[in-house]
Amino acid sequence: MKSVLAALALTTALTLPHLAMARPVTMTAQLNDYGGDGAYLSLYVTDASGAYAGSLWMAGGKSRYYRHLTDWYRATGGDTAQINGISGASVGSGRTLEITLDLADALFDAGYTLHIDAAVENMRESPNEVAVPLTRAGADKPVPGRRYVASFAYRM
Amino acid sequence: MRTIFTILAASTALAAGIAMPAWSAMRTPAAADARTVTAAFAAKRNAPTVILVGDREDDDRRGDARSATRNGGNDDDEADDDDCKGDDGGCNAAANPAPAGTVAPPTNGLFGTGAPPKVQVK
Repeated sequence: MKSVLAALALTTALTLPHLAMARPVTMTAQLNDYGGDGAYLSLYVTDASGAYAGSLWMAGGKSRYYRHLTDWYRATGGDTAQINGISGASVGSGRTLEITLDLADALFDAGYTLHIDAAVENMRESPNEVAVPLTRAGADKPVPGRRYVASFAYRM
Repeated sequence: MRTIFTILAASTALAAGIAMPAWSAMRTPAAADARTVTAAFAAKRNAPTVILVGDREDDDRRGDARSATRNGGNDDDEADDDDCKGDDGGCNAAANPAPAGTVAPPTNGLFGTGAPPKVQVK
């Protein structure tokens, strides 16, 4: 009995800090009514030095179009292993993409910036459509995009 | 003597009963209207496979709002799937990524190990 309690305490002690180190974050991107095909969007993070840290989401499932997400493609070489398990459909004109991700707490207030690259078939590419620092204070504060994204916000 | 004839008749009847279908199976029907019982089964085995053809391509060509709605807001043109366009990387492009929910997110240090990603397009 004593060993069972000890094991339970140990697993609880190991699990709780881990749960506290990540939280669900909802990201919402409202697109303009630009009147074209579905937009490909890549959401990725750079660190304080501006170096690519990793991808958070890819909206658009066909890898042959990824080269039009120019900044993301330059950083990753179009490596689809970066977005396995975090990709979905492209987003239609005037629609709203809402993603909820379990993100590490260490991403916030540590100099990381979230970027969105956008591309639409037969329309202009839009690298760095959105660039927003990841801070707790910046949550729930919509920021506008440059061309296709009307507004973007994250909620913690 | 009578018993011998009875046994002989019975064995002949049995042999005929067994041999007739076997003999029939070995023969190819000379004409369609002269099929044996087993030839009818053989004909069914050799029948051509029926291939059902959908009208999906026609839907994609329309490119209308109904098509986009059916795809849950995904405006991808599925008719492009088989294209190997040279200016798009063609057939040498990398494989498409695994969609969310089919595999775990990458271990890039950005994600926790909790709930899988949820996505919706409104």
